[in-house]
Amino acid sequence: MHSKNKILLVEDESSLSKLVVKYLSDNSYICTHVSRLKSARELIKKNSYNTVLLDLGLPDGDGLSLIKEIKQKDYTCGVIIISAKDGLNNKVEGLDLGADDYLTKPFFMPELNARVKSLIRRLNFEGNNEILIGALKVIPDQMRLVINDCDVELTNSEFNLLLYFTSNKNRVLSKTNLAEYMSSKYFDYGFSDDVIYGHIKNLKKKLEKSGAPDYIKNIYGVGYKFIV
Amino acid sequence: MKLTTKTSLSFISLSTIFFLIGSVFMYFAVRVILAEDLSSRLYQMQGNFIDNINSKNDISNASNQHIFINESFEINTTQFSDTVLIENDKYVLYRKICFYHNIHNEIYKIEILQSQAQTDLLIWRIVILNVALAMVFFLIIFFLNQISVRRGLKVFYSTVSKLENFNISKPELMYFENAEIDELKKLTEVLKKMSLKISSDFNEQKEYTENVSHEIQTPLAIISSKADELLQSENLKKEEMEQLEIIMNTTTRLAKINQALILLTKIDNRFYTDISVISIDKIIHEKLDFFSDLISEKKIILTTNICNILDFKMNRYLADTLFLNIIKNAIMHNNISGSININLEGNILQIMNTGPKLLNKENIFKRFVRSSNKDSLGIGLSIVKRVCNFYFIDINYSFDKVHRFNLNFKDEKKLL
Repeated sequence: MHSKNKILLVEDESSLSKLVVKYLSDNSYICTHVSRLKSARELIKKNSYNTVLLDLGLPDGDGLSLIKEIKQKDYTCGVIIISAKDGLNNKVEGLDLGADDYLTKPFFMPELNARVKSLIRRLNFEGNNEILIGALKVIPDQMRLVINDCDVELTNSEFNLLLYFTSNKNRVLSKTNLAEYMSSKYFDYGFSDDVIYGHIKNLKKKLEKSGAPDYIKNIYGVGYKFIV
Repeated sequence: MKLTTKTSLSFISLSTIFFLIGSVFMYFAVRVILAEDLSSRLYQMQGNFIDNINSKNDISNASNQHIFINESFEINTTQFSDTVLIENDKYVLYRKICFYHNIHNEIYKIEILQSQAQTDLLIWRIVILNVALAMVFFLIIFFLNQISVRRGLKVFYSTVSKLENFNISKPELMYFENAEIDELKKLTEVLKKMSLKISSDFNEQKEYTENVSHEIQTPLAIISSKADELLQSENLKKEEMEQLEIIMNTTTRLAKINQALILLTKIDNRFYTDISVISIDKIIHEKLDFFSDLISEKKIILTTNICNILDFKMNRYLADTLFLNIIKNAIMHNNISGSININLEGNILQIMNTGPKLLNKENIFKRFVRSSNKDSLGIGLSIVKRVCNFYFIDINYSFDKVHRFNLNFKDEKKLL
């Protein structure tokens, strides 16, 4: 990821759009925002984007129709549907049409960030990518963590949490945010603070044992921060 | 019971009752008529007898088998009566005229008898013939009625079968045949209007719930994102951060409740009408796979005993929701190193799991009734119950050391 990734946001809710644009720009993406399908179509024709964030219910039509056009033009352009519309039904339809991911509103910005990152990684490196962060080498597709050339055994939950932390480094991730992220992987399985705390405690222990610095800081009463 | 059978049966039973009353009445009427006829014949015989005696001027030889002559001391009025004679060991009913005659200054009581056997036989023949004719008549009427009603109701039956297959999201598929009968014509017209009205109401409702969902979720997304942004600022006091975390938590919760309620409303509004064949045995394994990480992390011992395949017609999304929720429930409310036991035998699915005892098991399927686990919304099982009700799946809960959910997929129309 040498050059900045370009993201197109198609969303008609202006206050949410501002938040997303600001957040993604802060995270060194170039984010363009349009609120109509028509303008989105024109932009897609002229420019190439790494990812399109697509709302479904737009004033001038259903976003689903855009997915095909995007994918036909540039297969490496990822599409993430962001919608408040009822999950599974639209999700299945959207994914069938070629969307890469689906995020239901409301979502936390770090989660959006994690999804965009993982999607760009997936599309650009075709699965052979590694994330190097501090002393850690994370290989998402093999669910492997390597520290000092040694593999560290992590459970799926621990690995998912670590991936989420690395995607949102130097940022306070609240307990709610972490629980939501984990829950969304398991059909809103209600992860309690205790369970999240347990997983993070184990993750910290394993990192410490492998000789990595203590990256995960506990922000008391609020959540955690992955500091590199 | 079919309308035709019902009307025919009541027609026939009523007719039979009236006919029986009529037959009894007729029996007596015929008897009276024939008795009168007999009496007049006896009068005639009396006249002939008297003429005969007067011309002969002798009564001594006038008696025979059916004419009895006895001397009498007084003259009484002429009388009719019934009497029985034994002829060839058989009782035979006779009609008798009894009169008095004065000849050579002697009074004779003369009884002339006339057999009623013939008339009796006649009455019975008439009655039997009458009954037989009536039976034939009824049978003919019954079948003609059946045929004509069936023909008249043909449109009705086709309308009913169309209504059975009524798909609320595709009202244009409803096409009613034109009926000849005014009542049926009226009915199909009303149904046409009604189906269009129902669909338009349904669509409005659907749009409304979707709008509510969309319009509420987006502001919630903004609130939680803003709170999250604030949380990133430097120099926040601990209390301020905690309050921001509470805002995020509450907002997320609100969004979840909103989504769940929308789902419940959608189920109630029959939003999910597309039906596919769901293999219950397969979907269980699929959902267990989905949660396998959580099952192993909680060190839950899982045993499944699936004896047979079970195919059930239901909406794919609702099936996913049902099984995800009920299996999630079994994991979420389980103990560490607990167990889950799933049995499928015949049409009955049994899901048992260990876990802390509930205080209030009557309310387990009610909304927002939560266990001690504060992270559950208390709405999953109420969604499960709603989906079950929708497909007439019997679901019940019991607790005997383990939590036990029994689901009976009993609706034969939906089984394959």
